[in-house]
Amino acid sequence: MNDLYVMTAIVAMAVVTFLIRALPFMGARWLRGSPVVRGIGVFLPPAIMALLLVHSARDLGEQAPGQWLPAVVAVLVVLTLQLYQRQPLLSIAAGTVLYMSWIQVM
Amino acid sequence: MRWSTLLMSLPIAMGYVPLGMVFGFLFVQAGGAWYLALAASVLVYAGALQFAMIPMLAAGLPVASLALAALVINLRHAFYGLSLINDRAAKRLTRLYLIFALTDETYSLVTTLQPRPTPEQMAVLAGINQCWWVLGTLLGAWLGTQLPVSLTGLDFALAALFAVLTIEQWRATRAWLPLLVAPVSYILMWWWWPEQALLLAMGVCLIASLAWAWRPTGARV
Repeated sequence: MNDLYVMTAIVAMAVVTFLIRALPFMGARWLRGSPVVRGIGVFLPPAIMALLLVHSARDLGEQAPGQWLPAVVAVLVVLTLQLYQRQPLLSIAAGTVLYMSWIQVM
Repeated sequence: MRWSTLLMSLPIAMGYVPLGMVFGFLFVQAGGAWYLALAASVLVYAGALQFAMIPMLAAGLPVASLALAALVINLRHAFYGLSLINDRAAKRLTRLYLIFALTDETYSLVTTLQPRPTPEQMAVLAGINQCWWVLGTLLGAWLGTQLPVSLTGLDFALAALFAVLTIEQWRATRAWLPLLVAPVSYILMWWWWPEQALLLAMGVCLIASLAWAWRPTGARV
C-alpha cells in the first residue's frame, strides 16, 4: 500500500463520513423523505458487505490450492452463528479458529 | 460525573477495544502502515467502513470509489442525531465533535441516561469511547507488526467480519435482493475481468440499487 494513496483515501472517506453525519444538522431533512435515497440506503450497504465477503473469501481461496472448502465452510459457520446468536466476537472467533485449525492440519 | 462516565463507557470498551484491535491488526497485515491505521480510527471513526476500506485499499481502488463506499455505508447516519443535539445551544467545537463522534453505541448509551447529559458531558463520553477504539487500533497494529506476516489463517477474520456485517445489514433492512445481486455480479465480473472484479461488481450493484430505488411502488422484495 502506497502511503500517499492510503492517506488521500482516508481523508476523502473522513470528509464524506463527516458530511453525512452533519447533513441532518444542515437542514437537509428532505433526505429522509426521498424514496431514492431511502432505496439506495436499503439496497447498497448489504450489497457492499456481501461483495466484500465474496471478495475476501476469494482472496483466501486463491492463497493456496485446496483452501476453498475450509474458507466456504468457515464463512457459512460465521453466517449461521451470527444469524442465530448475534454475538459478533463469538462468530468471528469461532469461524477463525475453525479455519485456522483446518488449514493447519491439511 | 467523572468516574461514573468511565464506568458507563466500560461496556462499550468491551466491544470497541477488541474490534479496534482486529481493525489495526488486519490493516497492518494487509500492508498498511500503523500510523495510517491510527489516522483512520481518529479521522474516519466508523466501524463498518474501516473494515471495508482494508480490501479496497489493498486492491488499489480509485479514491473516488472509496469515497462513494463511505457515502453509502454511512448513509444511515444521516437519519439520526438530530433529536440529541439540535435543541441545545452547545459550543461550536463541542457540537462539531458530537456530530462527528456519535456512533451507534454512543448514541444508544446517551439516550438511556437519566437525566439527559449536557452536550459537554455527551462529548466527554463520546471522546472516551473513541479513545477505546483508538487504543484497540494501536494494540492491534502493534501486534500486526510483531507477528509474522499472514500468520496462517488469521486473515480469515476479515472475511468473518464481512459475514457478520452482511447478516447485520440484512437484519436491519430485511432485503434479500442485494444478497443475491452482489455475489452473482461479483462472480460474473470475476469471470470477465478477475483483477477488477470488486470495482466492477460495485458498479453493477450501484446501478441495480438505482433501478431498485426507482422501481414501481408496490413492487416489494
